[in-house]
Amino acid sequence: MLAGQRTGRLLRVLAASVVLLPQVAAADIDEWETVVAEARGQTVYFNAWGGELAINRYIGWAAEQLRTKYDVELRHVKVTDIAEAVSRIKAENAAGRGRGGSVDLLWINGENFASLQRAGLLYGPWVHSTPNATLIDWQGNPTTLSDGSMATGGFEMPWGTAALTLFYDSQQVTQPLDDPTALLQWIEAHPGRFSYPQPPAFLGTAFLKQLLLVLVEDTDRLQRPVGDDFAQVTQPLWSWLDRAHPSLWRRGRLFPLSGPAQRDLLAVGELDWMLSFNPSEADRAIGQGDLHETIGALHFAAGALANSHFLAIPYNSSATAGARVAANFLLSPAAQARKANEQFWGDPTVLDTDKLSATQRRLFDVLPSGAATPPTPERFLAEPHPSWTTRLEQAWLERYVR
Amino acid sequence: MSALRLDGVTLDIDGKVLFQPLSFSVEPGNVTSVVGPSGSGKSSLLAYLCGILPKEIQGRGAVYAGDKQLTDLATERRALGLLFQDSLLFPHLSVGGNLLFGLRAKQSRAARRQRVNEALASVGLEGFADRDPATLSGGQKSRVALLRVLLAEPRALLLDEPFSALDDDSRARVRSLVFAEAQRLGLPTLLVTHDMEDVAAAGGDVIELRHPQDKQGI
Amino acid sequence: MLRKPPIIILLCVSVIPTSAGVLAALWSGLDPAALTRVLATPGVGLSIASSIWSGVIATGVSLLLAHLAVALAASGGWRARLNGFALPLLAMPHLAMGIGLALLLAPSGVLLRAVSPWATGFDLPPDWLIVQDPAALSLILGLILKETCFLIMALMAALAQVPSAELQLQARALGYGPLKAWLAVTAPLLQRQIRLPLAAVLVFGIGNVELAIPLGPGLPPTFSVMLWHWFTNPDPLINAQAYAGTVLLLLATTTTLAFMAAANTLLTRLLRRTAESGRRRSHDGFARGVARSVLIVGWSTGILAIAAILLRSAAGPWRFPALLPGGDWLSRWLDVLPVAGSVAATTIGLAVATALCGLLLVLPAAERCRRDRRTRAIVGAWLFVPLLVPQMTFLFGMQVLLVRLHLDGRIVAVLWSHLIFALPYLWGLLAPARATIDPRYQSVAATLGATPLRTWFTVTAPLLARSTLLAFALAFSVSVALYLPTLFAGAGRFATAATEAAASAGSGNLRLASVHGLLLAVLPLTVFALAYTTNSLLFRNRRGIPR
Repeated sequence: MLAGQRTGRLLRVLAASVVLLPQVAAADIDEWETVVAEARGQTVYFNAWGGELAINRYIGWAAEQLRTKYDVELRHVKVTDIAEAVSRIKAENAAGRGRGGSVDLLWINGENFASLQRAGLLYGPWVHSTPNATLIDWQGNPTTLSDGSMATGGFEMPWGTAALTLFYDSQQVTQPLDDPTALLQWIEAHPGRFSYPQPPAFLGTAFLKQLLLVLVEDTDRLQRPVGDDFAQVTQPLWSWLDRAHPSLWRRGRLFPLSGPAQRDLLAVGELDWMLSFNPSEADRAIGQGDLHETIGALHFAAGALANSHFLAIPYNSSATAGARVAANFLLSPAAQARKANEQFWGDPTVLDTDKLSATQRRLFDVLPSGAATPPTPERFLAEPHPSWTTRLEQAWLERYVR
Repeated sequence: MSALRLDGVTLDIDGKVLFQPLSFSVEPGNVTSVVGPSGSGKSSLLAYLCGILPKEIQGRGAVYAGDKQLTDLATERRALGLLFQDSLLFPHLSVGGNLLFGLRAKQSRAARRQRVNEALASVGLEGFADRDPATLSGGQKSRVALLRVLLAEPRALLLDEPFSALDDDSRARVRSLVFAEAQRLGLPTLLVTHDMEDVAAAGGDVIELRHPQDKQGI
Repeated sequence: MLRKPPIIILLCVSVIPTSAGVLAALWSGLDPAALTRVLATPGVGLSIASSIWSGVIATGVSLLLAHLAVALAASGGWRARLNGFALPLLAMPHLAMGIGLALLLAPSGVLLRAVSPWATGFDLPPDWLIVQDPAALSLILGLILKETCFLIMALMAALAQVPSAELQLQARALGYGPLKAWLAVTAPLLQRQIRLPLAAVLVFGIGNVELAIPLGPGLPPTFSVMLWHWFTNPDPLINAQAYAGTVLLLLATTTTLAFMAAANTLLTRLLRRTAESGRRRSHDGFARGVARSVLIVGWSTGILAIAAILLRSAAGPWRFPALLPGGDWLSRWLDVLPVAGSVAATTIGLAVATALCGLLLVLPAAERCRRDRRTRAIVGAWLFVPLLVPQMTFLFGMQVLLVRLHLDGRIVAVLWSHLIFALPYLWGLLAPARATIDPRYQSVAATLGATPLRTWFTVTAPLLARSTLLAFALAFSVSVALYLPTLFAGAGRFATAATEAAASAGSGNLRLASVHGLLLAVLPLTVFALAYTTNSLLFRNRRGIPR
């Protein structure tokens, strides 16, 4: 990329981040028609995490719809970690491949998004010229505008929102445990029954951040970049972990590698706990016969870590029109309602139901909700500044890898 | 049929000459025996005539069938029938399949099968067409091998100790069969052997392979 | 002889990408800053060490067990049956074996379920660190199960070149027990022949991810798994660490190979001394019994691993200590069928293409080499080179080149990478097979008037048919099992059973991994079964063709 182009992109990022309430102008609707026409016959390689069967099936359903309605071929490239796709885009950039990149659409957030955005490797801004973007709850859900303290700026489109939830076997956990101290006591009383995914797996790091946000008093400090006071600020977190680790599953010498891995362990009875960003995950799993029925769910009373996830398009995609059409479809009320339906995925919507028509709103009203779904958290906690994430993961590795 | 003629044929391995140059003729229907101690190059001589010498051995000299020079031709064009000590019937084909492989005549399938059956009957192996070659006795295999060679309509017959693996009974019978056919079809025949009985039965010229240093044979 | 076109083509397909890949990896990886960061990573020393010791121990034990197995089979007269035993475990891809063992041996796995709670009194799975233990014992076990079978096959092939039966008979007649006779007389001869396969076993043991992901230690993982994580990290500094790490991996592997070569010499010397000691050990019934038990236990573990995959793939909420999963297993299998369907199609298509292209490359070259033993050995050695370099090292490098050539993510690149790994096995099977066909058949056919081409199709090919079918099955299995090549050359675009199984096992999702693992295990076994059945039907009325 030329230096001039990169400056231009940065300026556009800054400009877009100033705009808080985008509106779709009348002229843009004609532009959209051209995009839809251009998208016909295109193949969109959608790089998305493939570790969850339900999500893979949902994407398969979306692909079917896109094929019949828009003549767009959506191919799900299953990745273990979206970082794989990010590094591929970077490799293509390094090799000078400015067109015909291998990735057309990415399911992304957080540090991965920040990394691509800083390097100017994303196409856009495109979100605000997407028709269904007007339905997003921009004001009510701050995590749609800012992804880990980096502005989304129209370069990534919110797809779903979530709060970190702890699920447990209600036959083993009998009293409410909605603060870390109570949880620690339970862990020490029941050695070998609790664990969390190993950082830097997404949920593992999220658990660390959740604990940090709830244990630390000065949470404003966490919204600013990390500095030399890291050890001091994070001391309460390490004290908690140091006390907990000897009583963890496998005595803290082995950790589940991901959220679904831990759900597996809960299903076979090795663990009594699992974590997820999806509040309806347990209900869906029970409905599909993946989990037994005695599951409960909780959020920390002090607040649940909230997190949105997004869709982005790389700069060198050869199917940007197809990707935008696909993204628009995934944002449609019908697709969002199916996504929020815990029989299919159970991932909460980013749409503001107030902005929907009566028929569209009914799609969301009739969604099933079971006993294992917690009530909406009392407080949403925003993610710390992204620089804390890498430091936390590094510090965890240094501390606990022998 | 024309005579088989060798002109100055000699072989060497890495410059070491195996035997003094041979020049002789075999008339149609006659059997010339080639004798010599083991390692003297008898089998290699036949290999050279057919064009299947291994690359370690160099051969020189011309071979003629009548006026046609054979030394420039590829093996499959020379039409020289070779019979080994082992019958070497193709194990994946039936007895009849082996014979059909050798049969040159371009006729209809039915006609070709007919010829094969007739050939088998003529050597007392009637009905053997569909048999697995591995189930035949030594003598039977030799007879089939002979038929295979003859059905290929060769210009001459080259026999590389083809009777030595047979027991005494079969040996005599197969030997007389081979010589009889050679005479009947007027094929010049070259017999390589170390068995003097074979030489006597052949009744033709005897060529002794002499080492280049020898003035007289051993 | 080496300059003949088929042979050149064969060598180019294999050697050029490998060398290019290694050079590219070295060039990208020799970065002092990145190397420093690698060495400063927490746990890196232990990681490299665990890779090395798991590779070395597994190789040593596999060698011993393989020798014992072949010795017992040779003296007991059941050599042909040994092939039959080793084959299912050999054909099972490493990933499937890894996943199966994890499901078998885990505290919530099939073994403990079978004995709980009646024998053990456990109501909940015990908190034992069996699978993924820090000493890498479960990883070593997985390696042993697979590599023993591989070495058995290599020994059997080497056995054909050595007059072992006569030598053994001599030794037995002199009063030696069968095991001692084997060690003193036959083993030294075979050791020379299997140097290359043994080296390949060691290299795989050190650098593999297929078994290390489900079975290897977690904190820290073995070095190759650590590199695998780094390679997929978006941070370019960490990417550079991955390249630097592959150089370290290459260094560690080469050093260990050198030590192994020295150890091999020592071993031969030791064996000679044992032979010269004169001790007969004729009453080795006990030792033989122990050896036989160990082998049976090992083999059963491998087979049970497949059963474990089967059970887990059908299970939903499968609470300990229930042995059989409840619920409607049939519908759960049907559930995953559409997903599995497209993955299976890609896997099978790629594997068939690999096998066919491989045959097309190897058969003409084998034809050319049929009388030249030395050339056969040289070609075989060169084709083995990709197996002597850690996969990760040369695949990383190859990906850089492929991206520059705009070939990454194309089916051609993936097919080529699969061919590189299939060729040594194809050659090892078909070149000797071609050479053992009596050359006089060809001469006879020529004298009967058949052109070389006709001779090949009507005489040589049928005689090679059985070996060719087995070679096809072998190449098919190799392709099905390949994970890293498909991932790198295919830029993640091709979803084969191996990539899906690795992705699920990598995120610890054993339920999903068992589904893919089942597919992974079933495909090669089916093709081998087909090959064997066809072979027994082919030419069944012809006794003259060696089986």
